[in-house]
Amino acid sequence: MGDNIDISVDFAGLKLVNPVFTVSGTCGYADELSDFMDVNCLGGFITKSITLAPRKGNATPRIVETDSGMLNAIGLANVGLEKFIEEKLPVLENFSPAVFVNVAGQTIEEYVAVTERLSSERAIAGFELNISCPNVKKGGISFGRDPEQVAGITSAVKKAAGEKVLMVKLSPAVTDISVIAAAAVEAGADALSLVNTFTAMVIDIETRKPVLANRTGGLSGPAIKPIAVYLVNKVYNEVAKKRDIPLLGGGGIRTALDAIEFIIAGASGVGIGTTNFIEPDCAAKIIDGIRDYCVRNDITNIKELTGSLLE
Amino acid sequence: MSEECLSSARGTFEAVVSFNRRIGPGFCRLGLEFSGEGAKAFAHFEPGQFAQLDISNTALPSPEAVPDHLRDAAGRNVLLRRPFSFAQMTAEGRKTTGELLYGVVGPATVRMTTLSAGDKLSIIGPLGRGFRIPEGKKTLLLVGGGMGTPPLQHLAQALTSQGSGIEIIAFAGARTAEALPYEGRLDDISQQLGFSLAEFAKCGVESLVATDDGTAGHRGLVTDHLLQWLEQSKLTPDEMMMCACGPEAMLARVSRIAAERNIDCQLSMERRMACGIGLCQSCAVECRVPGSSETIYKMCCEHGPVFDAKEVVF
Ligand SMILES: Cc1cc2nc3c(=O)[nH]c(=O)nc-3n(C[C@H](O)[C@H](O)[C@H](O)COP(=O)(O)OP(=O)(O)OC[C@H]3O[C@@H](n4cnc5c(N)ncnc54)[C@H](O)[C@@H]3O)c2cc1C
Ligand SMILES: Cc1cc2nc3c(=O)[nH]c(=O)nc-3n(C[C@H](O)[C@H](O)[C@H](O)COP(=O)(O)O)c2cc1C
Ligand code: FES
Repeated sequence: MGDNIDISVDFAGLKLVNPVFTVSGTCGYADELSDFMDVNCLGGFITKSITLAPRKGNATPRIVETDSGMLNAIGLANVGLEKFIEEKLPVLENFSPAVFVNVAGQTIEEYVAVTERLSSERAIAGFELNISCPNVKKGGISFGRDPEQVAGITSAVKKAAGEKVLMVKLSPAVTDISVIAAAAVEAGADALSLVNTFTAMVIDIETRKPVLANRTGGLSGPAIKPIAVYLVNKVYNEVAKKRDIPLLGGGGIRTALDAIEFIIAGASGVGIGTTNFIEPDCAAKIIDGIRDYCVRNDITNIKELTGSLLE
Repeated sequence: MSEECLSSARGTFEAVVSFNRRIGPGFCRLGLEFSGEGAKAFAHFEPGQFAQLDISNTALPSPEAVPDHLRDAAGRNVLLRRPFSFAQMTAEGRKTTGELLYGVVGPATVRMTTLSAGDKLSIIGPLGRGFRIPEGKKTLLLVGGGMGTPPLQHLAQALTSQGSGIEIIAFAGARTAEALPYEGRLDDISQQLGFSLAEFAKCGVESLVATDDGTAGHRGLVTDHLLQWLEQSKLTPDEMMMCACGPEAMLARVSRIAAERNIDCQLSMERRMACGIGLCQSCAVECRVPGSSETIYKMCCEHGPVFDAKEVVF
């Protein structure tokens, strides 16, 4: 069953075997999930954010669970560019999914330096520009709120990326996400990904203090899914469709049904985050579920489904 | 307990509940049975390692059965898995059976009280690194505070059944008698020794109890009791070793005692964990870098949960 079903997608010139990605900060740097599933079954893989120098990250508690979601304030803890190249890149060489390195920094120069250094690496298909991290004082989301800054950093990194695909990761915590999306596309983004987490807070009422050491954190998980579906549909209608820019949609995807909602809303690819923590083989199950949905609904090519929302 | 036993056979398995017994006002002991690949993987589960349980599909008890102070919190739904160590693990033939001990403290552990024999749970493990007891130690001091006893019980069981010959003494502390998470108390042991705890006694391990309010055993902190014992001991520091699990403040005191006396010491640390398998970086423990004033974060779920006391910054 399903042999004649094509669930491969074209993503900014990349041919992906299926639309499913595991996304930044939830799947390690390379093969961390491989005790639990065959990571080569993925369409795409996005590394933890990489910065020029290693970052220790925030004090603990760094996470707290909420109803159907969680807050995190990891603070972009990562091994830094050099150690990534030395230890992780060789593992990625043998990867079949399209590998995106998520790039973060405090200054435009830092983003550019990381991107340039990796732009000729064969193992890497593209970059995801993180201008939407809510958990660091400098950089991160401060670049992602203002359309002019978004344009500035996107075009600088686009130059540094050379032939590689540049995807810009959007924050949902802005007045009009389409304005930011358009600014990124005008400045050269080949693809957009959305959404990053929503800035949020949990208070311990006994101590009257925030639970997270960082005070606030980013909300992810099933709790954000309906908002994320809406935002993907909005950016698809207002920006992506007419310019033929692919979207990587996600936020709270737990099952294939959730993933298909994003595809119907306008996503070409779908990103799985928090659910990797709970079911580390969920991406493999979601890929199977997408194929089953296509069989049930006589869809021979998944591309028919992208943006197929009926009004 | 050697490095190479770091089983790469970790995975997601199904466990079947064999019993779920209340052993005190806020504690239960849960029996789990593994078969097939799960039995093989958990046969290598070392004392101090942990596993991640999926409680999201487990039902809430009826409202009367929920402790008053948890009534509001219990209603939250459970998304993430929960980390637990084991108090016992036995591999026999094709079956591996484990027992864990849990305190009822929030939405997941309230739900766990409704588990009954035959129920199935999804469990990821074995995870992290356990206690590593070097050769040549004569005496091992276990120090458990509050809920921090399961991995120490498992360690006592494992060392005894291996016939390691090491002498083991367990120090157990809690706020008050009711908060001691032990099932069997042998009250007939002389008061001087405090009363012995059956979980340790069955492995031939003497236990010394302290409670803050003096309702059981010595009055005072378990670490004060430990200090008194050390004052009287004739052992040299190299002959001894300490393994501790409990609240962070207690671990900090144990760590200081060990450092002052130059005694080898390992601590089982707890952090809030989203994944337990090294994906999320939520479980950071601040650690010293040898020969430097800098510190780094090591992940509790991968480098720990058992840390060398010398590493950890309190
Ligand atoms: C490696 C490891 C081993 C553990 N072994 C055991 C065990 O053998 N038996 C046992 O009863 N418990 C153990 N725990 C703690 C157990 O995971 C928590 O009690 C459980 O997750 C609580 O879930 P809940 O939904 O009932 O309560 P929650 O609402 O999640 O928590 C209740 C309260 O406990 C605190 N808390 C929760 N999780 C943690 C944590 N990881 N670290 C510090 N504080 C926390 C929170 O501040 C909260 O106020 C272990 C934890 C770790 C990290
Ligand atoms: C613990 C954690 C760490 C994350 N780290 C990063 C990161 O380093 N860079 C980034 O761009 N996004 C990061 N994210 C955001 C995710 O990539 C994703 O956009 C978000 O969690 C929404 O998807 P989800 O609901 O499926 O998790 C992180 C999310 C979580 C939960
Ligand atoms: S709990 Fe996720 S890395 Fe340790």
